[in-house]
Amino acid sequence: MAKIIGIDLGTTNSCVAVMEGGTPKVIHSAEGRNVIPSVVDPIKNIVGDVAKRQMVINPKSTIFSVKRLMGRKFSDVNVQNDLKWLPYVIKPGKNDMAVVEVEGRQFTPQEISAKVLAKIKADAEKYLGDKVTQAVITVPAYFDDSQRQATKQAGEIAGLVVLRILNEPTAAALAYGLDKKNAHTIAVYDLGGGTFDISVLELGEGVYEVKATNGDTHLGGDDFDKKILDYIADEFKKEHGVDLRKDPQALQRLRDAAEKAKIELSTSLEAEINLPFVTQGKDGPLHLVMKLSRAKLESIVDELIQKTVEPVKKCLSDAKLKASDIDEVVLVGGMTRMPKVVETVQKSFGKEPNRSVNPDEVVAVGAAVQAGVLSGEVKDVVLLDVTPLTLGVETLGSVSTPLITRNTTVPTSKTEVFSTAADNQTSVEINVLQGERPMAADNKSLGRFVLSGIPAAPRGVPQVEVTFDIDASGILSVTAKDKASGKVANIKITGSTGLSKEEVEKMKKEAEEHASEDTEKKEKIEARNHADSLIYTAEKTLKDLGDKVKAEDKKEVEEKVKALKDILESGSTSDLKTKTEELSAVIQKVGAAAYSQNQPSAEQTAEEPQANGQKKDEKKVEEGEVVS
Amino acid sequence: MKQQIDEWKAKYLRALADYQNLERRTHEEWQEKQTRATLAVISKILPILDTIRKAADHLQDPGLNLGTKSFTDVLVDLGVVKLDVIGLTFDPATMECIDVVDGEENKVLDELLPGYIYKGILLRPAKVKVGKTKGG
Repeated sequence: MAKIIGIDLGTTNSCVAVMEGGTPKVIHSAEGRNVIPSVVDPIKNIVGDVAKRQMVINPKSTIFSVKRLMGRKFSDVNVQNDLKWLPYVIKPGKNDMAVVEVEGRQFTPQEISAKVLAKIKADAEKYLGDKVTQAVITVPAYFDDSQRQATKQAGEIAGLVVLRILNEPTAAALAYGLDKKNAHTIAVYDLGGGTFDISVLELGEGVYEVKATNGDTHLGGDDFDKKILDYIADEFKKEHGVDLRKDPQALQRLRDAAEKAKIELSTSLEAEINLPFVTQGKDGPLHLVMKLSRAKLESIVDELIQKTVEPVKKCLSDAKLKASDIDEVVLVGGMTRMPKVVETVQKSFGKEPNRSVNPDEVVAVGAAVQAGVLSGEVKDVVLLDVTPLTLGVETLGSVSTPLITRNTTVPTSKTEVFSTAADNQTSVEINVLQGERPMAADNKSLGRFVLSGIPAAPRGVPQVEVTFDIDASGILSVTAKDKASGKVANIKITGSTGLSKEEVEKMKKEAEEHASEDTEKKEKIEARNHADSLIYTAEKTLKDLGDKVKAEDKKEVEEKVKALKDILESGSTSDLKTKTEELSAVIQKVGAAAYSQNQPSAEQTAEEPQANGQKKDEKKVEEGEVVS
Repeated sequence: MKQQIDEWKAKYLRALADYQNLERRTHEEWQEKQTRATLAVISKILPILDTIRKAADHLQDPGLNLGTKSFTDVLVDLGVVKLDVIGLTFDPATMECIDVVDGEENKVLDELLPGYIYKGILLRPAKVKVGKTKGG
C-alpha cells in the first residue's frame, strides 16, 4: 500500500508532509525548500520558485493567488475585487465560473492548482521512492461546497485521489494532537503570506466542527514586508533625496532586506540593514546603512496587527463564546513568529498560544496526520513502546540512581559501574526501582537480588557492572557482574512498563508535587555522602602518608575530621557543605605538601580520581555505592 | 490463525521494506545535507563578494582587483560555477528577471547580479534585465 500524503494547498505557498514511522515529516521540494510558492506558468508548465522568477517579464502568464478564484463565479464580489489587482486576465468561463486566460487559452483555477499539486506529487514520489496516488488536501474552513469540490478536482487532475478535504484549522489542531488532549473548544489564528483567518472549532464525537470563522482575505506577510520596505525607502529618501523604489535593482535588494530584517527581528531586538552600493547618486555610489529596532518595527506594522483583533472578537461572538471559553489557541502562518503578533493573540484570548510546530508546516503536518489515520498507519502501526517511568537502582543513602530515564524507546539497554560502600564488603544488594522521585523509598521497588562473592577490598575499589535491559515486550532484566571475580547475578522483571495509565499519571504528579522537597532531601543525603567519603579519604591519606605529614597539619586534619563527624548525622545541608569544604581544603594542602616531598608515595591517592575522569570529591557520590 | 500469520508477515515485510528504504534515503540525505551545508555557507558569502566587486568596479584599485580575483578563484576551486547569461534567452530555471527593457525579445541584456551553480544545484539565480520589443 502506497503512502498517503497531506497537502496544504495555500494561497501564497504550499507544503506537503507524510507519516513516517508514526510521525509526520515535511517533504522538501526539489529546490530544497519546505514550501513551494503557489505560482504557475501554465503555458511553459513551470511551477514554484522557477515560475516566480519570471513574474516581472511575464506578468500575464505567471499565475499566483489562484486559490482566491477557486470554485468562484466570475460575478462573485470577491473575484470582482481581485480582478482589479491581479496582473493576469480573469474571465467568465462555463457557467460563469472564473477562469484564467493566458495567451488566448483558458485555464480553470483547478487546472492551475493541479500543476502545483503535480509538482508536490513528483517531489513526494522522489522523496519516498514510490508512486503516490492518494492525498488529503486542506482548504480554509469558510470554503463552500463548490470551492471544496474544485479543490478535489484539482487533485484528481494532478493524478491524486483526494481521500479527504480537510479544514485548515482542523489540520492545525491535529498537528498539535489537540483531539487527543481532549481540548474541547479551540481557536486557530492563521496569519499567512496573503490572508488572515481566525476559526473557532468545537470537538464533538471525535471530530472538530467549525463553529465560526472570520478574517481578512487581504492581510498577510506581504503587507508587512511592504510597510517595512516603505519605511526604509522613505528614510533613505529623506537622507539622500533618492527614491529606491524607482530603481528596479535597488527595489529588489530592498525587498529582500526588508524581509530579512523582519525575520531577524523575531528573534533579536535590533537588525542592521546594510546595502552597500545600493544605487548611484549624483556624486557617486550610495550605501544604505540603517538600524531597525524591534520596537520601531512593531510601531510600523502595529496597524496591520491591530486589524486582526476585530475579526477575532467577531469570530468569538459568532460562536457565542467568550475568550475564556477557549481551551487552546493554535498559531499558523509564518507571520505568527513575530513576537508582537504572539503578544496580541495572547491578549485577545488571555492564554499562551501553541506554537511549537513550525507555523509554515503545521497545516501540512496535520493533513499528514489525517492521512495516517485514513491509511490506518496512525491507529494500526506497531508503535514501539516507551518506558513510562524511570528505572534505576538504590544507592548509598537510599538515593534512587536512574539508569533508564522515562520515555526511552524500548528495546534498550544501559550499563553503569557501581562500587561498594564499606571496606571489605563482599556482597551488594541490587534494589531495582521505578519512579521519578529522587529517594528510593518514594519509588516502587520492582525487585531485589544479591550479588555475593566479591573479593574483599577497600570501599570504592570493587567494580560492579549493573546492566538494565528491556526487551520489546517490556520485560526488564537486571544483571550485576563483579568485574574482578566475574561473578554474576540477575533478575528478570516482567511487566515493568505495565503500570496502568492512572498509576503512571499519579506517580508523575507526585513527583511534580514533591519536587522541591525531594530535591532538598536528596541534596542533604548527597552532602552527607560527600562528607562521609571525604572523612574516609582524609583518614586514609593520613594513614598512608604517616610521618610525611607535619604534626600541625595532621592535627588540623584530625580536628576538621572530628568536626565533620560530629555533624554528619544531624547537621544541616549547608553546615555539612561548609565543613566538608574546610576539610577538603586542608587535605589538599597536606596532599600537595606530600607530593612535593615525595611523589611516588602519593601514588595511591592519585589513582582514584582518574578512575572515570571525575573529580575525586564527586566520584564517590556520583558512582554511588550499592547498598549492602 | 492463518489470517493473523499473513497479516503479521505482511506487516513485517512492510517494516523491513520501510527500514531498507530508510537506510537508502539516510545515505542520500547525508550526502545531500553535506552539499546543502556547503550551499548555505557559500550563499551567505556571495553577497560579500558582490559588495567587494562593486567597490572594486568603483575604485579601480589594482590591489582590490587582485583581492577580488583571489576570492573568485577560491569559489572556482570549491566547484562553484558562475553562470554566463548575457545574450542568452531568458530562462527562469537559472535566472530571475528584475527589470524589462527595450531590446531583443526575451534576451538577457544585462546582468545585475551574477548567478552561481554548485554540483548542478542552483546556488543563486542570476538577476537580469530582459529585453522586450515595444508592444510585445
